[in-house]
Amino acid sequence: MEKKSDAFLRKMLKNWVNRQCPPDSGRARLLWEAARISRNKIDLSVILLHPQFKSYSSSNDWSQTFFTWINENSIQFGIQARII
Amino acid sequence: MEAITDSELALSLQAGSLEALGVLYDRHRGLVFRTALAITGDAEAAADLLHDVFLRLHRFAAHIDPQRPLEPWLYRMTTNLSYTWVKRRQRWFRPLEDVADWLAGTRKDTPAYQAEKDDSWRQVQQAVSSLPLSHRGVVVLYYINDLSLLEISEILDIPVGTVKSRLHYGRQALKQSLGLLAGEILPELQYEFT
Repeated sequence: MEKKSDAFLRKMLKNWVNRQCPPDSGRARLLWEAARISRNKIDLSVILLHPQFKSYSSSNDWSQTFFTWINENSIQFGIQARII
Repeated sequence: MEAITDSELALSLQAGSLEALGVLYDRHRGLVFRTALAITGDAEAAADLLHDVFLRLHRFAAHIDPQRPLEPWLYRMTTNLSYTWVKRRQRWFRPLEDVADWLAGTRKDTPAYQAEKDDSWRQVQQAVSSLPLSHRGVVVLYYINDLSLLEISEILDIPVGTVKSRLHYGRQALKQSLGLLAGEILPELQYEFT
């Protein structure tokens, strides 16, 4: 009798939860969110253990451009000064 | 892809594979959703918890041992998040619901309310929801997920004796709520059972 009512309880509870299904859009929502987190994730170990010095190249280019401009213009101003 | 084991998928997930996450989701979403639904009694909450559990699996993939079965981890995370959801709801929303019922006043006399009350499945939900949270978790893992006492003790991190006692009291309370002790069986439920 105990086992019969236990089996009934098991079947009834399973039927109860099986009446509802997980949402169909759940997978797409999960993968979208996981991809967003992966994109934003900053791996500190990479920064600390393998610093990417190349990323500073743009600022080096900028300073190089600036000093080239100074040099070129100073030469030009010098030439102009001599002509006058 | 279906023949790949959970352990191999966990390794792929650790390497950052979202495809592996998708396969694990398809494989285990029923287990997580049913467990969360049974503990919370709320389908929307269960859907949100399903999302949260797999998002945590993705975030904490590096901490998971691929050599061990994944299901206990999923059960543990699902029950913990479901417990948190229920406690938060009890703290914040129960008083609001009581006020709403009091303001509604005559709601209990309406035919709609009576029909709702007569719904046998709602009685099952109420019977499960009325169990103390610790008993509810054990009952859900035992009856709905077919786990053994030992597996439940490992998932919930409690002694087997505690699992047995919670299961005993949970079972008795459920049978009493559903009229099974008196030999009554709700007609709709009996129909579903046969």
